[in-house]
Order: sequence, then C-alpha cells, then structure tokens
Amino acid sequence: MKAYSGDFFKDLSRKLVEAGYRVFAPVKVKDFYLFKEVKSAQIPDDYVNTVKSVKEIVFPQNEVLIKYGDWIEEVPIDEEKKAVIGVRPCDAKALKLLDKVFLEDVVDPYYEARRKNTVLIGYACNKAGNYCFCKSLGLSPFGTEGLDLLVIKTDKKYLVDEVSDKGKEIAKLLDLEDATDEDLKVKEELEKKALESFRISINVENVKIMPEVFESDYWKEVALNCISCGVCTYLCPTCYCFDMLDEGERRGYRYRCWDSCMFPLYTLETSSHNPRSEKWQRLRNRFYDKFHYMVKRKGEIFCVGCGRCIEFCPVGIDITEVINGLSR
Amino acid sequence: MNREMEEKLKDVCKRVVKEVDALIAYKRKKTEPREVLTVIRSEDEVDSISLSPLSVNNPAKLLMELLKTEKKVAVVAKGCDAKAIRQLIIEGKIDRDRVYIIGVSCPGVVDYRKFIKKIDDLSDVERVELIDDKIVVNGKDEIPFSEVIFENCLYCSNPTPVIYDELIGEPREGRVDFSDIDEFERMDREKRWEYWAKEFERCIRCHACRNSCPLCYCTECIVDPTNLAISPMTPAEEKATYPKILGKTISISDNVLYHLVRVLHHAGRCAGCGECERACPMGIPLRKLERKLEKVVIEEFGYDVTKEEIPFLSRLEVMR
Repeated sequence: MKAYSGDFFKDLSRKLVEAGYRVFAPVKVKDFYLFKEVKSAQIPDDYVNTVKSVKEIVFPQNEVLIKYGDWIEEVPIDEEKKAVIGVRPCDAKALKLLDKVFLEDVVDPYYEARRKNTVLIGYACNKAGNYCFCKSLGLSPFGTEGLDLLVIKTDKKYLVDEVSDKGKEIAKLLDLEDATDEDLKVKEELEKKALESFRISINVENVKIMPEVFESDYWKEVALNCISCGVCTYLCPTCYCFDMLDEGERRGYRYRCWDSCMFPLYTLETSSHNPRSEKWQRLRNRFYDKFHYMVKRKGEIFCVGCGRCIEFCPVGIDITEVINGLSR
Repeated sequence: MNREMEEKLKDVCKRVVKEVDALIAYKRKKTEPREVLTVIRSEDEVDSISLSPLSVNNPAKLLMELLKTEKKVAVVAKGCDAKAIRQLIIEGKIDRDRVYIIGVSCPGVVDYRKFIKKIDDLSDVERVELIDDKIVVNGKDEIPFSEVIFENCLYCSNPTPVIYDELIGEPREGRVDFSDIDEFERMDREKRWEYWAKEFERCIRCHACRNSCPLCYCTECIVDPTNLAISPMTPAEEKATYPKILGKTISISDNVLYHLVRVLHHAGRCAGCGECERACPMGIPLRKLERKLEKVVIEEFGYDVTKEEIPFLSRLEVMR
C-alpha cells in the first residue's frame, strides 16, 4: 500500500496524458456523471458513479467492424492506450464478468485489444450510494478485483493499492510514499464504515428457487409497469448483448451495436415467431439471465449491485425487490 | 397534495373499487419514497395506495393495456394524465364508458432526481407532502417546492383534469406560457443546432422516451419494425422494398432523425405529462421539442388539444 499527499487524480491523469494515454474520468454533465476524455481529472465528493458504466470504453455501443464497397476493408483493431480514472469497484468486477463472455472459449479480438490496453484506476467508495447493494452480492466498496490500482481517499491523503503489475508501473509515474501503519488503520476503518452504509440489499439465497418459479404469475405482476425500454440493460455494466448490422447497400459498413433483451425485436425469428413476444417474458429473462443462466454457464451471478437499473428505471422496477420477493 | 387529499382519495377508492374490475393508483416503493403505478382490485388493498407530490407516472398507458382484458377500469388521474386519457378516447383507443376517472387537481409534481439530492437517507423518508409552497418530509423537514418541482409543471396548462367522473381537490387555473420556447426561438439557427447536437450526442437510444409515452402506442414503429420479418420464402425484391428509415447507431444523424420523427408524431396530441423527459436517463430536455410543436399547433393552426373532438392530424382543413 502506498500513499500520496497531493491531488492524486489530477497529478496522475496529467502524467498519464504525457505518457501517451487517452484518459477518461467522471465528468459532471448537468447533474450526473459520465466518463469523458479529460486532460486533467478531478473527482468531486458528490460523485457516486457514472450513469453509463465503464463498459462503454472497452465495449462501445457502436463499433464498425468492416467497411465494404468494391472490396472489403477491415477496420484495424483499436489498440490505443487508455486509462480510466475513478472506476468504482463494482464496475471493475463487472468487467471481470464480461471477460468470461468475451475472452473465454471464442475470443473477441476487439474486446480483447481494448481490455488489454486499458488501465483501470479504481476509486473506493467511502459511502454506499442510494441504490448500491454490492455488499449483499459478496462484493465490497473497497474491492480490488479487475482493477489495476485502487485509490482510497482519506481525510488527509490518498492511499494507493497497487493491485496489478500494470498498476505498479502506472504508480511509478508519481512519487508515492509507503503507507504507514496509521494509514492502514484508517483504511480499515473507512472500509468498515463504508460496509455499514448500505441502505438496500439483495437476498442471494432466493436465487436458488428460480428454477421452480419460472412459470409463476409473479413475473406478470413484476412486469406490470415495464415499458420494454433499454434503460436497464444499456446502463447495466454486465449486459453484453449486441446485434450486427450492415449500413449501406452497395457500399457501407458492418457494425455491431448494443442490443437489449427488453426489445421485442431481440428474439424475433425470421419465421416471424417470437419466443418472448410478451413484455413479462422479456423482463423475466433479464432476471433469469443474470441470476440463473449465467450462474450455470459461467459460475457467477451477473449482477454487481451498482443499482443503475433501479435508479434509472422509468417505472420504478427494482431488481432487489424482484429477487427478494421471489417465493415458492 | 397533502395527507388530507390522500385520505379523501382513499375514501373514494374504497367506494369505486367495488364498482370496477381494477383500479389504477400510486403506491410507494418498499425501500424508498419513490412511487409507482399499481393496480388494485379489492377494498382492503386501498390502504396501500398513496397520493403525494411523488405520484408522478402517467397511468394512461397502463389503463389502455388493462382495458384489453378488463371490462371497467378506474384510474386516478392528474391534469396531464387526464389529458392523455382524453386524447386516447378521441383517437378511439379507450372507450370512455369503460373508464371511471378519479381526477386529481394537481399543483405540480416533484422531480425525483432533484428530490433525492436533498435527502440524506432515503430510508428515513416516510411521508412527503406539498403544503403551501413547501415540500414537507415526514411532517417536519421543509424543502421549497420551487427547488424540486419537475420543470415541466411550471408550464402546465391543465392542472385540473379536462375530463373526470369525480374530482379531488379544488380546481386550479392553468396557463399558456411559451416564454421558454420564445427565448429559444430567438437564438440563431447555428446556436440552436449546436444546442441540440450536444444534447442528442448523449442519446443512447434506449427508446425509453418513446416507450414511456402514453400516446406512442403504435405496435409497429419505423424505429424497430417487428412485423417485417424476412422468411426463407421472402423474395429479394420484397426485401429490397422494406423501409429502412434510420439506423440503430447513436450517430448524430440517427439520433436526430429518431427524435424528430418521434416528436412530429405527437403534433396536436401531446398531453404534456413529461414522461419522455422523466424517463430519459441522459437528461435530454425532450419537452422543449414537444413544447415547440405545441406552440406551432396553437399559434399556426389554432388547435386546442383539450377541446377539439377531431384529432389534429385527421383535420384535413388544417392541411390546406
């Protein structure tokens, strides 16, 4: 553990820019935050998390794969060096989950290149946000999984946990001191306080009964107000579905873009049969995918408790209420 | 919207719920003061409903949906909600005889995103009321209403429902105020373009604005046509004639086209409830577009959406 008394995010971001990185940090837009490219990062105290997660940096919403016309032109893989500052531990964990999708079995070269060339500088949460529930999923607001560095803000300084080798290299850009025993104690206290600050939680035990309640009318009840928009899935740091489309008839480009299982078009088959034609079937799928199918396929729940889908759902559907309300 | 109104509403609902198959009202979420739409079917469920400045969502869409299976549905409707319901009635989507409207005279609602920024711990909030010009939390903490009001409500033309079977609260006067749009119009073209390009740049095309709108009820939308399935039997010529009007990218051209097409379909129809703007996770001021259109419809065509019986776009004489 290291320590830094200066303005860590500002100083590190400037060094990273000098070292040729494109640096992204939370920037206030109206009254919320988005990751934007910056020359110098500054993270105000009211920052909880960005509306769109760090996912968009390694897996952008639109991505051109090839251009076509008289011949096919491959679009080079994006190997720019990027650094993201202010990543919350939940989002970093989400990228570890996305790795299981994009890097296991069939490797996605576009994702792989971006992931390899992106440094994640985490920022521990000293207080849980209104909609945070990572703790109940076994994660911590001080978690380091998936990060290169984890920065902890104390009253007096920044503590820097060098999580990966890449992180160690980056940390060399600044003159860091070794953290004192006092610092470590402060860190422990902060973490304890943060873990006590959670307002809502999800009952993970309930997930076990999911195979038995698939046919339950509960799902219709839950979906009563659902409007089948893409807010929950697009803002989710672990949702990864995409569609491939061609733009242009004789010449144009092939691109992939995020897709959402909430849209009726998502499962529409060429025969015009739609296995999930009703909105409650689609909404049910979202919960089964995160809490059941992915557990079966990849061994982990695909939810990190960031709370974006709760905060931004236009009709107030709450993932914790839905899972906690499951019963036989 | 205070406790007294809520109690009155509950009394009304206790009576009405017995006469209908379902009743749409608001209820508080379990873990926070946010309210959501709920459907109740019996008298003993009435106590779970609430009415406060956080009773925001427009029930018209849910009403339309419920009427597919229920014979008679009662609905709690604020001014803008009733305006949407009236519009759906004149467009033939809702049968007036099958709806019982419990109108609520509405002083405006709270912008929840602004509200939560004023609250230390959401779990502590038990009751939210509007008393005079203050939002009163738990009967004691006061927030000036002007600091948390949903901006759209400042321009409300119909705080009293335009259509109802019974009314809760004293009728209120609305106003026709396009001062914000006038101001916008005075900006030069480049500035306006710059403004919208910056706003639309953030759009993630989640389609929440379209899907939350009670008047965007088409089962088929040019944005994502679902009935244009291509089967193995579809000949190439037919595939070639399928319309593809806009792409799915979040490029500025696709985003602008999406929003302009969406908005133009609301000409002379928009109820002004602001669901679109409220639903947008990216804070795009979508009401500005709708309000510009409202202004044109009133000023250029003299069409009053709250009074006319023939839908604006069906009135051929205005097309001359």
